[in-house]
Amino acid sequence: MLISYNWLRELTGTILSPLELRERLTMVGLAIDAVEEKESDAVLDVEIPSNRPDCLSHVGIAREVAVVVSGKLRPPSGKPARSEGRSTDLTSVEIRDPDLCPRYAARLVRGVRISPSPAWLAKRLEEIGQRPINNVADITNYVLHELGQPLHAFDLAKLGGQRIVVRRATAGEKLKTLDGVERTLGANMLVIADAERPVALAGIMGGEDSEISIQTTEVLIESAYFNPDSVRQTARKLGMDTEASRRFERGADCENVLRAQNRCVELICEIAGGVATEDAIDVYPSPLPARSISFRPCRVDSLTSLRVAETEMKRILTGLGIAHTEESSAVWKCVPPSWRIDIEREEDLVEEIARHFGYDKIGSELPPSNQSGEHQPKELKIRKLRRTLQALGLDEAINFSFIELAPDNQLELIPEFHAQDPEHAFVTLKNPIIEHQGRMRPTLIPGLLNSLRHNLNHGIRSVRLFETGRIFAESDSGELPKEREALALIATGGALEANRAQAPRETDFYDLKGSLEAAVAAMNRASLRFTKAHVKHLREGQSARILLADGTPLGSLGTLGERISDAYKLRQLVYVAELDLSRLLDVEELPVQYKPLPRYPSVVRDLTILVDRQITLGELLHTIEGRQVDDCRGAQLVGTYEGANIPEDRRAITLRIEYRSDERTLLNEEIEDRHRGLIDSLLRQYSAQLH
Amino acid sequence: MAESQSQEDPTTQVEAASKAFEHEFERFARFTDPSAAVQGLTLDWAESEQHALAQLRTRHLGKKSALAICKKSIGRVAPEGRAAFGQLVQRREAEIISAIEQAETKLKSHIQSARIQRESIDVSLPGRRPRSGHLHPITLLRERLEDIFVALGYAIEDDREIETDFYNFDALNIPQNHPARASQDTFYTTNGLALRSQTSTVQIHAMQRRGAPVRMIAPGRVFRRDTPDPTHNPMFFQVEGLCVDRGITMAHLKGTVAELLRRMFGSRTVTRFRPSYFPFTEPSAEFDFSCFKCGGSGCRICKNSGWIELGGSGMVHPHVLRAAGVDFDEFSGFAFGFGIDRMVGLMYELDDIRLLFENDVRFLEQFD
Ligand SMILES: [Zn+2]
Repeated sequence: MLISYNWLRELTGTILSPLELRERLTMVGLAIDAVEEKESDAVLDVEIPSNRPDCLSHVGIAREVAVVVSGKLRPPSGKPARSEGRSTDLTSVEIRDPDLCPRYAARLVRGVRISPSPAWLAKRLEEIGQRPINNVADITNYVLHELGQPLHAFDLAKLGGQRIVVRRATAGEKLKTLDGVERTLGANMLVIADAERPVALAGIMGGEDSEISIQTTEVLIESAYFNPDSVRQTARKLGMDTEASRRFERGADCENVLRAQNRCVELICEIAGGVATEDAIDVYPSPLPARSISFRPCRVDSLTSLRVAETEMKRILTGLGIAHTEESSAVWKCVPPSWRIDIEREEDLVEEIARHFGYDKIGSELPPSNQSGEHQPKELKIRKLRRTLQALGLDEAINFSFIELAPDNQLELIPEFHAQDPEHAFVTLKNPIIEHQGRMRPTLIPGLLNSLRHNLNHGIRSVRLFETGRIFAESDSGELPKEREALALIATGGALEANRAQAPRETDFYDLKGSLEAAVAAMNRASLRFTKAHVKHLREGQSARILLADGTPLGSLGTLGERISDAYKLRQLVYVAELDLSRLLDVEELPVQYKPLPRYPSVVRDLTILVDRQITLGELLHTIEGRQVDDCRGAQLVGTYEGANIPEDRRAITLRIEYRSDERTLLNEEIEDRHRGLIDSLLRQYSAQLH
Repeated sequence: MAESQSQEDPTTQVEAASKAFEHEFERFARFTDPSAAVQGLTLDWAESEQHALAQLRTRHLGKKSALAICKKSIGRVAPEGRAAFGQLVQRREAEIISAIEQAETKLKSHIQSARIQRESIDVSLPGRRPRSGHLHPITLLRERLEDIFVALGYAIEDDREIETDFYNFDALNIPQNHPARASQDTFYTTNGLALRSQTSTVQIHAMQRRGAPVRMIAPGRVFRRDTPDPTHNPMFFQVEGLCVDRGITMAHLKGTVAELLRRMFGSRTVTRFRPSYFPFTEPSAEFDFSCFKCGGSGCRICKNSGWIELGGSGMVHPHVLRAAGVDFDEFSGFAFGFGIDRMVGLMYELDDIRLLFENDVRFLEQFD
């Protein structure tokens, strides 16, 4: 809010410079964003905390200044030069809905002459960013900025029946507001009406029909207190935000109603001429009660560590208008003033004292330590995973948690999210901010595909990314939605090497698989299993299901399918994997345990067989393991070969088998015998040939 | 023939052998000058010369060499001339050995250096390794913050991102009519749940679970309905801290925040507290720190104020403690919070924080 320095000085007599004021007010909680030097004044842009509507005026700020400089506020006067006649003889006020309007006061000034405002008034308003209109309208605006009470001036002659009725609108009722917009009202909107129709939106804006014009001679000055929620809801529904609504929404001062009206009437008589009525019609059926708070002065020390003398506490409370009496030396009874709607309890009083005594006087020490720190149990594992993927050349991506609705049915989700009813499987936002992005992501893949798209659009064709993050799905039982951590990897383009312009080869399926395996190994979990599977978003024949060692499915890995590739306009092969990280982290860590080193030598035998292309290495290894050949310590891949000299439907696989005994050195004949048996059984089982 | 040779005078035979050597050795003579460098000799040629030299040695010093035969014919020398003859043979043999060895040494060293030349590698070629990846700057900073607080005795906590109104607002003492609750500011699901708008929600869960005393921080994603622009994102990362114990005061809050900022921005960093308002704390304070770039004299980063605003804090409101089941007559506590994204933006002088979630490789590559 813009505050005139000169105005502030008139109200407080402060001798602080604008820059000194900036510093001092900032340190009591009224941050000043900017000080603009004007011709003969300075304008302070004050940031008012949302709980301090009392500061939305010059007097409000002046109250704080007076406490800061230990001075006195010089409030403006409020007595019209001439008054005659009783308001009740000339008009009437009826509040039909006191729940939304606890207080309404009306007073008349007759015989005014509407004209432009005098120069000083126009200038003062312009300095704080207000546009002068005419003398009467400007005076209501001036008093609003001086005392914080929104006022409205009606042309009495244009009020049907010369009366005021405060009531809820009837649904569909119409009102053309001062900004020239015809508005259709709802049944819960509070209006000021005359005998027949609405003439103003209560606490927000007046109506055009009853506006002050050059012909106006009799004005009715409205000063009222409206229910903050009612004003907020109406303003929001109608998309309006005015100086008046802003103050009523946050809470005006119900006891300021008559004072502001007096001040306004005084200024009208002085500037626009005319005679005020002797009194106001003040309808205030049930005055708002004052709050009384028990305050223990020792709490200042125990909450803030500040040692504040009682006399200083009392000075601050008094300066802020907080009445206080000592019930005992340990407990005071405090009554905050009507404008301080934010002060409700002891802690609020502690803050008032602390901020005026000075936050800068609070000491600085670490709390005594009696607890040991700890990371989240899984964080250190995830750190290893991240570092491993990084070392293997993947960059870490972070995407928004919301995605577009469209790709839902094209992607296979992690097993935990396989739902019966896809219609209600996902968490949807009621009010997305980015168009179409209304789905809480059930998978990380769309985000990574978008990131990939972004990079390709910028001419980067080799991209490897990973992301860890929360994914979401509705739960079946009507409980809170499921949230799980997922890990996803994506890769395309060349297998880049450090400091080389050209990748020696293209990235492929096995790069991504290797990265995933390395990351899981870094977390010291049992190795994953991969089985050929049909996965919705992956290319047939190049897709795998990822399983835990015990067969629990975790996710999928493979070459991105053509349909989804096309949807993202990806014209090169893309490899993608996603798995349920929460599930993976639940798996027990592998124990690390010492095994004695072998005492007898091992012997290896290589074996190359020609098998059908559909037979996987996994099957062969599984078979070898299952055979439990004596002293066979396992088999590992040497290589595969397909192409020239080999029938199209077959391929050669070379395995290395290790034989070793813990009791003795094996004899050559024994090894030959066992190896022969193993070969024979493989050849039989897979209709294979030795190659 | 052998007969006629054997008839020749052995001394003459020795001299003839010596002459024959000198003649054959001529082509190697250039390898015997220790001061002259060997010029214009490729490694291959030098190796064949070395081989030829070895053959020469066999021919002139081997068991079947002329000199060896001469030695055997000493019987034919008159007894009085034998001593002189023996000396002559030894002298000539020594001359031949010395010439060959000189040449061998020289050739060998030439070959060695030529081989080093040929086999030398360009050590400035790049080492063989995959291009390394990069962690996201938010992750890097979050890990650093977590480590600092673990060292200060805090537990790291996290919880749900989709929350009930109770955890997101009620328990945090956010009034029913507070603008933060409006669908203008907070995301809601079609089932009426909120995307958490601050990680303070985690504090409530943690206090309910752990009870008091408690010391924890909650780093994580939060959501607010801001349209993306250079200074806003609808999702960002935040750290909220909480310390509840007997006798906790604002001095402890100030000390903790100041310690954090010194560890982040250097030991000379000064922290400033300003009164402010948050529904979940009372008294409340915003904290600023002295600009790490200019040290307080004013620059672009601190908008010439010398101070950088970072976050909010205060003493936990009794309503919040009550909602979390903590006895607020016995315990008091402080809480603070700030944006990780904002800190990343400050530290790296980002001019557009939307970059944080575009995952442009050229952006990510800059952090480590
Ligand atoms: Zn600076």
